[in-house]
Amino acid sequence: MILTTKDLRYTYQNGETINFPDVALDVGKKVLIVGYSGSGKTTLLNLIAGALKVQQGEITLAEKNYSSLSSGQLDKIRADNIGYIFQTLNLIPFLSVMENIELGVRFSKNRRSNVSDLTQEIVRLLTSLGLGKKVLDTSVNRLSIGQQQRVAVARALLGQPALVLADEPTSALDKESAKNFLNELSTTFDTSKQALLMVSHDLSLAPYFDQVIDITNKNV
Amino acid sequence: MFKLLIKSVRSRLLPVSLVIITLMASMVLLLSIERIQKATEIGFNQSISGVDAIIGPRSSSLELVLYTVFHLGRPTNNITMKTIDDIRQRKDIEYLVPIALGDSHRGFRVIATEKDYFKYIKYSSDKSLSFSDGQAFNEISGAVIGADVAKKLDYQVGTKIHISHGSSQAVAKKHDDFSFEVTGVLEKTGTPIDQAVFVDLKGYELIHLGWQSGTKVFNLKQLDLSTLSQEELTPKTVTAAFVGLKSKLTLFRFAASVKKYPNEAISAVIPGIALSELWSMVGIVDQGFELLSWIIIVISLIAMVSLIISSIDNRKREMTIYRANGATPMYLSTLVVLEAVFIGLTAIIGAIVFVTLVTYLATQQLNLILGITPEFDWVSWNEAKVFAIILLAGILSSLVPAIIVFKKNLHHTLS
Repeated sequence: MILTTKDLRYTYQNGETINFPDVALDVGKKVLIVGYSGSGKTTLLNLIAGALKVQQGEITLAEKNYSSLSSGQLDKIRADNIGYIFQTLNLIPFLSVMENIELGVRFSKNRRSNVSDLTQEIVRLLTSLGLGKKVLDTSVNRLSIGQQQRVAVARALLGQPALVLADEPTSALDKESAKNFLNELSTTFDTSKQALLMVSHDLSLAPYFDQVIDITNKNV
Repeated sequence: MFKLLIKSVRSRLLPVSLVIITLMASMVLLLSIERIQKATEIGFNQSISGVDAIIGPRSSSLELVLYTVFHLGRPTNNITMKTIDDIRQRKDIEYLVPIALGDSHRGFRVIATEKDYFKYIKYSSDKSLSFSDGQAFNEISGAVIGADVAKKLDYQVGTKIHISHGSSQAVAKKHDDFSFEVTGVLEKTGTPIDQAVFVDLKGYELIHLGWQSGTKVFNLKQLDLSTLSQEELTPKTVTAAFVGLKSKLTLFRFAASVKKYPNEAISAVIPGIALSELWSMVGIVDQGFELLSWIIIVISLIAMVSLIISSIDNRKREMTIYRANGATPMYLSTLVVLEAVFIGLTAIIGAIVFVTLVTYLATQQLNLILGITPEFDWVSWNEAKVFAIILLAGILSSLVPAIIVFKKNLHHTLS
């Protein structure tokens, strides 16, 4: 198992508490977590990304239990094992496409060691995601939202992190673009080494995933 | 990290540049004041050497030094040659060189003196005057010119010159009935000597024979100069006299006894003391400027910290992406501190270039106004210390935004 969560429970500062469904994610699996806005989807991602401290329950990623790790170790776990795709504003505007993607391996020696030729690997990912080599040196501000999301995916996949977390990456895209985006993500994603966990409010995306978890009802 | 820093700074070029310019300007102000003040002081102090005292009419000692050594201002009174001769008889004196001022040549001061001037008067810590061409005058029609005079007027040995009555070129009337011939050109000294024309005291007296109360009464050509006696050519008064003593230990006793000279109200001024009076006056103004400069530096550093703190919110996306990709809080804090180092270093490099430019221009002005040519280092040890203090202050103040970044949790930016 790449990722397992067990009996996760989080209490916000206003006293509101959420009980999360257990998640078990194996290599090659794609899981969609659905729920309405404010149901705690992003909180769950933040807990898994190590951005929020686990209050109750357990998270184990790459055989490491979060409760036994310091914040520095959590940073390392994230750098080595997690590729993160945000909802929007995924890229740093003053860096080129190449430089933005390169950030995926900048802070992790482990992920960097999985890539022998950086430029070649970035070109491969971009091509697989429907963007060509020609955008490599382009300023990210010149790309459409859909193209920017693809660049963000390339960054999240670079260096083959074990877990790819995606926080509603299709929310800013129209239906057709969202469909294309998910198709490309599925083909580029390495099923032999990686797992994908995506959160969304859109249940229509379910056919692209092996498993769908409703965070509200804790239904699987 | 440095590449990311440069790219990030470039994306905020205008505000960062403004902070750099403010910091740089304050450093330029601070260092320029210090450099020019120090260089002027050194230049002034090096302008006269080997002179223990200046004897002149009793007046402000600073005024006497300014017009006899630096050719600034005008002498208000003269002293009689009899007084000079009396003092020359004293046994504690090694030499006495009288000078008479008041005339000019094409804007350059004329100093009437004796040949001994070139033997005894020194500059820049005991350097003797030397000639780049020719020699000192032996005739009353001889003249010696400073290096700048020779260069600017393209004069050489053998050039005949007329000097003008009075020191102002605009209203001066020429002594066109008698010409002096350049017999020597002095080597460059970097002192007011470079901008002076020296003539024989007797020749100076001669050209004034036909003058009364600043007006020419008769032409010298009407006289048979060969019939004039040495006594007639001996000046009745001079402006001042430079004195060297056999023993420096007798300096204060000498000055006190000159003040008691019964036949004329004269005083002996010690140049070093008069100049230190000048620096203590100038120093008060300088301290004010220096304080002002430090205040501006502090304000600039506050502006830098404000810029970094306000940019943290604007850079939320940048920081979040770094953190989500595994950058540690320490990495981001280091990035913030490095930005302060970058701003500080750029401002320092800019300040060095500008200060060098400012001091170069100041040198030209000091040479033009005071006749001194001070030398500047690229960066002095004291300046390096100032830069280090500013850089350190910049780094320390950047710790505030660095700590803010360090404490910012990733989930605050992710969500």
